[in-house]
Amino acid sequence: MESFTPLSALLGGAMIGLASAILWVGNGRIAGISGIFGQLLPPAKTIVWRLIFLGSMIGASYLAYYFLPDLSVVGGQQFEDIKLIGNPIWIAIAGLLIGLGTKIGNGCTSGHGVCGLARLSFRSLVGVVIFFAVAIITVTITGVAR
Amino acid sequence: MNDTLKPFYLITAALSGALFGGGLYISQMIDPLKVLRFLDFSAIPSGGWDPSLGFVIAAAIGVMFIGVRIANKRQTPLFNGKFLLPDLKNIDSPLIVGAVLFGIGWGMSGICPGPAITLIAFMPENILIFLITMFAGSFLGSYILKWMTPRRTNHNGEQAI
Repeated sequence: MESFTPLSALLGGAMIGLASAILWVGNGRIAGISGIFGQLLPPAKTIVWRLIFLGSMIGASYLAYYFLPDLSVVGGQQFEDIKLIGNPIWIAIAGLLIGLGTKIGNGCTSGHGVCGLARLSFRSLVGVVIFFAVAIITVTITGVAR
Repeated sequence: MNDTLKPFYLITAALSGALFGGGLYISQMIDPLKVLRFLDFSAIPSGGWDPSLGFVIAAAIGVMFIGVRIANKRQTPLFNGKFLLPDLKNIDSPLIVGAVLFGIGWGMSGICPGPAITLIAFMPENILIFLITMFAGSFLGSYILKWMTPRRTNHNGEQAI
């Protein structure tokens, strides 16, 4: 467990939870990222807040890196080493499946995982159990983490 | 003016997005390998398993749970006319099919939609391939969803999630 980083995980997770709480209490919106970007496409109804949310998400992550470059090295992994797994075809298939699955299943790790479970939604619980189980099986079969 | 264009609504969206992106960075969940090391349960016996992702989700759910309690005491959100609650409750085939497809893609890549978009900040090689195919999948998925659920309707034509 040499790469286990409990403190940064808890702090980052609490920030993600606070982000979801602010959007829900303030705007009455579920902070589900697949839904926020998925409805940028036609027939989109509200685009401005979605672009502002996603732009802030990208910008803040860059700023966090700029001011706290060391935090990401806690696990021994140099930040510059972050890379996508697999060849371009593998990456394209994964991206396509994630776009399809989150649209058809109406949510991803944030919408079903964080918001749905916190709202005690049984539908989200079923979704979360299935996609975690399938992801764990996929990683075990393909050995991509090794 | 449309509620969703008012300053406080947009400031809330910006603040929420910033906390979300900062949280993904600090928790290192933007690193695909870190996510895969959680999903790799085969590494548990050897001690190589990384439980970090579980801590991220647990902390996020804990804080959001308080947010849900606060919201439940209110008739409306602060800056909008109503809470856009997902109106789907039943376990149907799109939920199951979608979760299976997403699970396969997530297990192949270690990237879910939040980190995928946040990685634009760092532009690792091939991220654009991932983003373009993810958007294409979402677009295609909206037609498959319509075909699977011809009678499903959404409030004001927009999904809450």
